Amino acid sequence: MPTLNLPLTDEPAVLGGFTETLLEHARKGEHALLQAKRTASYESYAHIPNPDRFHEEYRRMDPDLFKIDNFQRLDIPLEDIPYEEAEEDAHYDLIISVTPNGFCIQDRNGITADDAITVLPLQEAAQSRTTLLEQAMGSAMVAEEQRKFLDLNGAFWNVGFLIHVKKKAEIKGGILIRYHNDRPDSILLPRLVVVAEQESVFSIAEQFTSPDGVSTLCISGREFLLEAAADVKLVSLQGWGDQGIHIGEDWARVKRDARVNLFSMTVGGKVSKMTVGCDVCEPNANAYLGGVFFADRKQHFDQKTLQYHSAPDTYSNMLYKGAVKDEGYSVYQGIIRALKNCVGVDSYQTNNNLVLDPTARADSIPSLIIDADELACSHGATFGNIDEEQLYYLRSRGIPEGEARRMLVLGFFDEVIDRIPFENMRDHLHEVIARKFGAL
Amino acid sequence: MPEFDTDSDLIKEYKYGFFTDIETDTIPKGLNEEVIAMISGKKNEPVWMLEWRLKAYRRWLKMKSPRWAYLDYPEIDFQNIHYYSAPKQNVDSTELDPELMKTFERLGIPMNERDALSGVAMDVVFDSVSVGTTHKELLEEQGIIFCSISEAIQKHPELVKKYLGTVVPPGDNYYAALNSAVFTDGSFCYIPKGVTCPVELSTYFRINAADTGQFERTLIVCDDHATCSYLEGCTAPSRDTNQLHAAVVEIVALDHAEVKYSTVQNWYAGDKEGKGGIYNFVTKRGHCRGIKSKISWTQVEVGAAITWKYPGCVLEGDGSSGEFYSVAFTNNKMQADTGTKMIHLGKNTTSTIVSKGISAGQSSNNYRGLVRVYPGATHARNHSACDSLLIGRECSANTFPYIESEDDTAVLAHEATTSTISEEQLFYLKSRGISEEDAASMVVRGFCKDVFKHLPLEFSVEAVKLLEIKLEGSIG
Repeated sequence: MPTLNLPLTDEPAVLGGFTETLLEHARKGEHALLQAKRTASYESYAHIPNPDRFHEEYRRMDPDLFKIDNFQRLDIPLEDIPYEEAEEDAHYDLIISVTPNGFCIQDRNGITADDAITVLPLQEAAQSRTTLLEQAMGSAMVAEEQRKFLDLNGAFWNVGFLIHVKKKAEIKGGILIRYHNDRPDSILLPRLVVVAEQESVFSIAEQFTSPDGVSTLCISGREFLLEAAADVKLVSLQGWGDQGIHIGEDWARVKRDARVNLFSMTVGGKVSKMTVGCDVCEPNANAYLGGVFFADRKQHFDQKTLQYHSAPDTYSNMLYKGAVKDEGYSVYQGIIRALKNCVGVDSYQTNNNLVLDPTARADSIPSLIIDADELACSHGATFGNIDEEQLYYLRSRGIPEGEARRMLVLGFFDEVIDRIPFENMRDHLHEVIARKFGAL
Repeated sequence: MPEFDTDSDLIKEYKYGFFTDIETDTIPKGLNEEVIAMISGKKNEPVWMLEWRLKAYRRWLKMKSPRWAYLDYPEIDFQNIHYYSAPKQNVDSTELDPELMKTFERLGIPMNERDALSGVAMDVVFDSVSVGTTHKELLEEQGIIFCSISEAIQKHPELVKKYLGTVVPPGDNYYAALNSAVFTDGSFCYIPKGVTCPVELSTYFRINAADTGQFERTLIVCDDHATCSYLEGCTAPSRDTNQLHAAVVEIVALDHAEVKYSTVQNWYAGDKEGKGGIYNFVTKRGHCRGIKSKISWTQVEVGAAITWKYPGCVLEGDGSSGEFYSVAFTNNKMQADTGTKMIHLGKNTTSTIVSKGISAGQSSNNYRGLVRVYPGATHARNHSACDSLLIGRECSANTFPYIESEDDTAVLAHEATTSTISEEQLFYLKSRGISEEDAASMVVRGFCKDVFKHLPLEFSVEAVKLLEIKLEGSIG
């Protein structure tokens, strides 16, 4: 059967400054394992054709929107920067803070004191957890997918962490990773490798920020490996300033009885292209993908989800809720794929869109690719403005129109937001959405 | 209408798999400007028509065949096809060739005018030419024009010039361009203002000769306040080689006009190993040009080795509406990539999509649809429901809906499901003494009911039977 993959190129197809020379620079002085991983990723990256707006994947996201040539890769030193406490930090057990000058890992509650929980920069992990990292790094992605930017990140990442949680260990408060980039025209390339051993339970929150008016690019790569009965949640919030560009790839491989929740919140930045993929690869594995996006002014958000069912009796559920306002443009593209003989698959995909202005645009392409029988896969997509009847109902109960509209918009998103495991994140999202919705 | 005798052995394979040995007038294989001039010459066409064809051909030369569909087939050698093949008829005689009459009797087509009971006016296209149209007088009384497109080019050039290529322009896509260059026959209907067509209009297409392609062109125009219902049926002989069918159908609905277009497509689908069969690469589009006009597509796709077909509606007139009801069945090695396009341009436009895909054997059945609301198309409404049913473990069913909304007053909803016939349903029916095969067939019939009820009665009965035959042997 035809695939959406493109024929590989013989001549290396490189983007911007991401050439072999830069690869050598990134590899310099690194552990042999990391060097090997970078080279392998580079080989794959260099032979995938460059994005082109005639390719299906970029038809609704012109690659000219993120001109990589205009940016330069940051060299983030392997140095500790002083920890600056933020108010929200009290909600978490461990904080990782990354800036262009370096990073710090602040273990507030001593969760890494014993061996059960490890949080290390990749460079250190390569020394002390060589075997684990060798097996884990780059293994979460579905092999048949061509992901140029994930490979780019794999070859050129400039800051990376390993989070390893051992059997039956639990992190109560969660981990917060904070990225802040204030250097103009720079590229941040964060890498995250998460290994959850059997029956481990934990949540991770991520925040990306940059000052308004500073043009930055971020190409992120995250991978999650869940062993039997592990339970992992990730909440990623893109809160970039108005000139931020984000290209992100999240991939999870979920084994027997394990459960992953990946929340992708896109509210900030100028352009965002997120891909979230999960492979539920053993019976009774379960994945939930949640998404919230709100594009206003001239924001352009492109979201792609892939739900792979490579084993029988696997489950996945996806709910992406988006709103567009002003000249905002959002694209949602989703694929549910059930491979041959994967019977007993139960999979759902929903995308709801609020189109709030006549100048805004929302596209939705929810697809099913099914090669097995005895399963139930379905998807739904809706488009509409605020329901006049609901509005009337609220107004007839004495609620002013502006307030009623705000309530309805927040209510629309709450189906996803309510599932987020961090209270401060939920409050923050409510605030951002209300502010974006504001003038209406 | 064709009568089915389910006991016959012929029917279990492909009932229409015979071919008729008649003398034909065929031009050599190959495609170039000369061949196009030859086709145009055979049809005695005016110069403007030839120019139109050549322009389309030059356009086609610059285009690439579309490969985005979820289909797998080898490159087509366009030089290895006869672009024109016609049964040799005695021009003076009004009687049809007896061999041809026999063919149509076997197919169950009421070519005989005395068969008034059928209540269907029919145009029959055999390979590249239209061989006869029935009920002409009845239609002429009302001012309805229903004839082959070649005849329309001769007799009603002003109407053809006005509408041809306005819905599907020659450069629309690769196969539409090819069709525009080499189209040989098809139907033309024009329903004048305020007329409700008294009978169902119908065209029957048959490919007979080997290594030919069929390039039909149909144009239906419904003037203000006119209504008509049009049916289309197709069959072809069983041959080892693949044959190409690249049709273009254009529908224009003016103010308050209503057109209902139904197809039962039963081209030869190839044998169990996937050898032979028709490549059905078709562009069909309706244009709701007038206010409150309506175009409704109903299709039952049970044949063809490969189907690539997206009947759509351009909803330009305010308050116009488009409908698409489809059952696509694939078995053995068949592949189908079919769906619809609903383009909302006018205010208060509505569209409904109901698509039912059934895949069995090692087949692949894809739904691909577009719903697009342009800025200013206020208060557009769309509801799409696409369900897929899988029978067997080696088939696949895919759904690719594209929904694009650029208006804040649009309300669009899409839902799709993929499932199999549940054990519980089968158990329930079997416990009431119904055999497994019958039970499965009942479930399938129930699954398709939403679509079949939109077909004209005779077609609906035919479609149910056809589906039952096609299902035989694929369950249990």
